[in-house]
Amino acid sequence: MKWLPFELHTHTPHSDGIHTLLEMCRKAAELGFRGIALTDHNTTSGMADAAQVTEETGVAIIPGLEWTTFYGHMLTLGVPYCEWRDLGPKDIHKGIDRVHRQGGVVGIAHPFSLGSPICTGCHWEYEIQDWNQVDYMEVWHETLPPMRNHNAPAFEQWTNLLNQGYRIAGTAGRDWHHSNDESDPPAYTYLGIVGDTDALTKEQAVDAIRTGRICISMGPLVTIELQADGQSYHTGDVIRRSDCANVETVELTVRIDHPSIASRRQMVQEEGLTVIVESNLGECCRSALADGATVFQHSIRPEKLLWLRVRLYGMLSGVLSTIAFTNPIYFED
Amino acid sequence: MKDLLIVEGTLTPLSSKTHITYQFNIPGPAESLRIDFSYSPKVLDDKEQARVLIEEALDKYVDPSLQAVYKEQWEKFAPLKNLLTLSIDDPEGFRGSAHRHPNHQHHVLSPHESSPGFFAGPIHEGVWRVTISVHCVVTSECRYQLHIREGEIDHEVASI
Repeated sequence: MKWLPFELHTHTPHSDGIHTLLEMCRKAAELGFRGIALTDHNTTSGMADAAQVTEETGVAIIPGLEWTTFYGHMLTLGVPYCEWRDLGPKDIHKGIDRVHRQGGVVGIAHPFSLGSPICTGCHWEYEIQDWNQVDYMEVWHETLPPMRNHNAPAFEQWTNLLNQGYRIAGTAGRDWHHSNDESDPPAYTYLGIVGDTDALTKEQAVDAIRTGRICISMGPLVTIELQADGQSYHTGDVIRRSDCANVETVELTVRIDHPSIASRRQMVQEEGLTVIVESNLGECCRSALADGATVFQHSIRPEKLLWLRVRLYGMLSGVLSTIAFTNPIYFED
Repeated sequence: MKDLLIVEGTLTPLSSKTHITYQFNIPGPAESLRIDFSYSPKVLDDKEQARVLIEEALDKYVDPSLQAVYKEQWEKFAPLKNLLTLSIDDPEGFRGSAHRHPNHQHHVLSPHESSPGFFAGPIHEGVWRVTISVHCVVTSECRYQLHIREGEIDHEVASI
């Protein structure tokens, strides 16, 4: 498996974006992305150029769409257009089924953005009857996402849902409409890609999101591994409680890989990082990393754990901030 | 050029979050379809009305602890705008949409090329549908015009 940075929320002139797919993918390559999801508002016609643009830029293009409806914006990935115009505020599950039946995944875009009439349909107002049907939530939205007000309640809602036992992936999305050099930096959504990574497919990206093999970061890739009774588990994996019944603790290893890209290394200070281990029981541990250290280990008692994730905290463009977070490793009875 | 549909209408804020669908028949295969769509006004000019609507939205969507700070900066969210978008279904199904903000739009659909947002492909005979999605009307009235024609092939695939 390889971890590759993706941008999962983008637009072109096929909806209201300014840059063409080619211009955007050239810029994406410069920013260090290996793939993007093309999520134009309510159409997939922009995919017509995708193969050629990938050939020219090396950036994989996953077909997607942003359902830009009256009651919320929902990202769909891996499927063609699915009908939304007949759905009311209590009908979202009918729509989610249409995407799932074709093998795609759905994600709630920017759930706490301001809604109509400031931004039409941008605040999530659909009634969700079963959160198990929601594959992912865009908890980091726009550029410099840890510093945006509307992402705080999104991250909190995600955590609350995890606490209730739902397994929902957390992603980032720039909502990228325009390429220019003056913009603040976007986050990476690192996806854990299984199989051949030379010619990335939509199935590989969809599988990573569905499985929760995801790390969100302003730069460094953070991966987690839990050793339980001789077995190894990674981001997105589920540990059965019976598989760690014989041990008092499970052993967590956190690895931090700083990206090679110079602009990212300047933005995220590699000294003074703090590793925070979070779970449904709250913060399990908070520890300053020795300068230059890229591995952190900690023993954790597994009882009563439903999920566990790691957050990296430190200096981002001169401000103390969350720099990265993993998706959880889950526990089940 | 042959006219297929010429319609217009007047909307009020009550029409926000509704769809208006027109269904029309194309009697035989055509070389292209040309769509002109416009609506007006685009912007709510009345500052006091805008302020009331913005403050209502901030009450609804912003955490109570931050509402006062946001309301001080209410002008950042002005001017408020009407947003109507167009989508098309051909006899086979969804043919594309133009979710964008300009209030004067021209689209062409043809076998080998279509305006951004729409799929290229044959202009089959049969029943077509065009849908105006009324995302938001903030002005007391908003008038729209929609004109669809059957046309010949040329190299003009314009879009605004």
